[in-house]
Amino acid sequence: MNRQSPLADKRILVVEDEYFIARDLERALRAADAIVIGPVATLEQGLSLAETQPLDAAVLDVNLAGERAFEIADRLSARDVPWTFLTGYDEWALPAAYRSAPIVAKPFQADRVIRAIGALMPDKGCA
Amino acid sequence: MTDLASLYGQKTLTVPSTGPGPHDAHVLAGINRILQEALRASTEEELGRLCLEVAEDLTGAAFSFFGERRESHDRLDHIAISERGWAAYHGSDPVFAQRQLPNGFNIHGIFGQVILQDRSLIVNDPANHPNRVGTPKGHPPLHNFLGVPLRRDGETFAMFALGNHPTGFTERERAIAEELAPAIVQALLRKRAEVASRASQRRLLTLIEGIPQLVWTATRNGQWTWVSPQWVAMTGLSVEESLGHGWLAAVHPDDRDAARRYWEGAGEHGDLAMEGRLRHGQTGRYRWFKTRATPVRDDHGRIVEWFGTSTDIDTLRRLRERQETLVAELQHRVRNILTIVRSIFTRTVENGGPIDEIADHFRGRLDSLARTQVVATQTRSGRVDLENLIRDELLGVGAIEDDRLLIEGPDVALPADTAESLGLAIHELTTNALKYGALRHSGGRLTITWQIEPTSNSECELIVKWDETGVPAMPVPPVRQGFGTELIREALPYGLGARTRLDFRGGGVLCVITLPLMSDDADAPNRSTEG
Repeated sequence: MNRQSPLADKRILVVEDEYFIARDLERALRAADAIVIGPVATLEQGLSLAETQPLDAAVLDVNLAGERAFEIADRLSARDVPWTFLTGYDEWALPAAYRSAPIVAKPFQADRVIRAIGALMPDKGCA
Repeated sequence: MTDLASLYGQKTLTVPSTGPGPHDAHVLAGINRILQEALRASTEEELGRLCLEVAEDLTGAAFSFFGERRESHDRLDHIAISERGWAAYHGSDPVFAQRQLPNGFNIHGIFGQVILQDRSLIVNDPANHPNRVGTPKGHPPLHNFLGVPLRRDGETFAMFALGNHPTGFTERERAIAEELAPAIVQALLRKRAEVASRASQRRLLTLIEGIPQLVWTATRNGQWTWVSPQWVAMTGLSVEESLGHGWLAAVHPDDRDAARRYWEGAGEHGDLAMEGRLRHGQTGRYRWFKTRATPVRDDHGRIVEWFGTSTDIDTLRRLRERQETLVAELQHRVRNILTIVRSIFTRTVENGGPIDEIADHFRGRLDSLARTQVVATQTRSGRVDLENLIRDELLGVGAIEDDRLLIEGPDVALPADTAESLGLAIHELTTNALKYGALRHSGGRLTITWQIEPTSNSECELIVKWDETGVPAMPVPPVRQGFGTELIREALPYGLGARTRLDFRGGGVLCVITLPLMSDDADAPNRSTEG
């Protein structure tokens, strides 16, 4: 079991309103042995999963069919679940409170997202 | 009264041995009157008439005038003609009836000698005086004359002259007139400065109250000492309410700390500038203002007060914010669509096949996305007409609307993201029909219809039906496992919340796409996205 993926068996929430992008993320996460929660396309679905599911990390698209994902980010932070935005917006276009949040820029390459999510989670030191 | 004392304090010590002197109570009263009236007169002419009246009263002259040398020194203009003078002229010439002061006199004749020789002059026999030039038309006959020069900084710049004493002028009258002269100069110059200052103040006030900025003055710690009418009109706060720190009431609560800090830093350094919101008194709405203040310094360079303006930048700021939003949205859209294109490319390649077929598929999908993008960005609303979307797709592959092709439905304006996915689905169906279905076989028919069904509340559904008939039964078409199938069966439900049905029946494809729509999407192709 050495050389295990840092995302192995981690429960990762994916909130992304574009089907093809969501599927690409899902595929990349599965390839890294993660357990994908979602993907879901709406704020409402995202909030529901963020509140009810055991989670290790999350990837959040900022613009969900015109709605903003900030509320999901706040719920996750309240639960100490680390998250990253996956968005086409630059930092300056985000509200001040989220400008220093981790961001993966669209268009993205799968391995960069995987690395970014890995970096969110502190190494629990597998004994 | 201090002027009087400083002017005459010296002279009262030197009492002339003969004739009336400055100790004469009547003369002092006259001087006093001139200096007092100077404050009240509204024009130089009015002041001049008053001075002449005092001089006539004290000397017993019948009329008088008060004139000033022009800057060029060669001509004399009238400052005033006494009331008695006007009365004596009255009726002889209509010009005098209008009391127009005669100007531009040559400096010559008897009166000219007062200026040219720079001394007072008594002429009791003017008819035989060597310098006599006669009197102007309408002038009453001149029997005798007393002229006195008026000096400023030791130079004669003006004169006044008295005429027609009942018995002729003596040294007594000359002494009185000479005593009056400094007071007349003093009164004239003071009035002149006052009029100039008043005009300058009026100009300044007109400027301050005419500019579109809110203007105010403040002491060093932000205590306001004056506000312009524009401030009162904008904020609805009265002058009294605004003074001191009262102006803070018009500042947005969130900006008050910044405004206070602004003044804390207003120590010895230069100009101040900040942006903040001020409450519009009538509407209660806050507007953004840019406030600047410049220190007013005394002769030692110390700041005496601050002179400030607040400029309305609300519209500018809103435009700037809107521009930032537009740029952000544009970035979002461009990067999102690139991500989608990338994903579609990957899938198209993964589905396999000969390279030129893969290229055709990808090109077709890219063209479909591009068409929708072009239409969506052509209208201000960013919306796309459903019928045009379908027609463009079919015309793009050369299909002709005839008895084998029917396209029919009400006007529907789709949001850009919906149009993008739906357009791609229509593209996949069209490509399939062209390759295997109704658009390939001569007996095939294609009917594309749509309708809007109300569901609950303000919601409604758009139901698009793609119905092929007359296609010979054939084995499983590739679309069944491909990109198009995934798009219709999974992507549309995922991204648009649609319900879809895709059947490969004998006779052709039947596809029904039902997607939720805001009720105002129907019949509103030009709806604005704002508001």
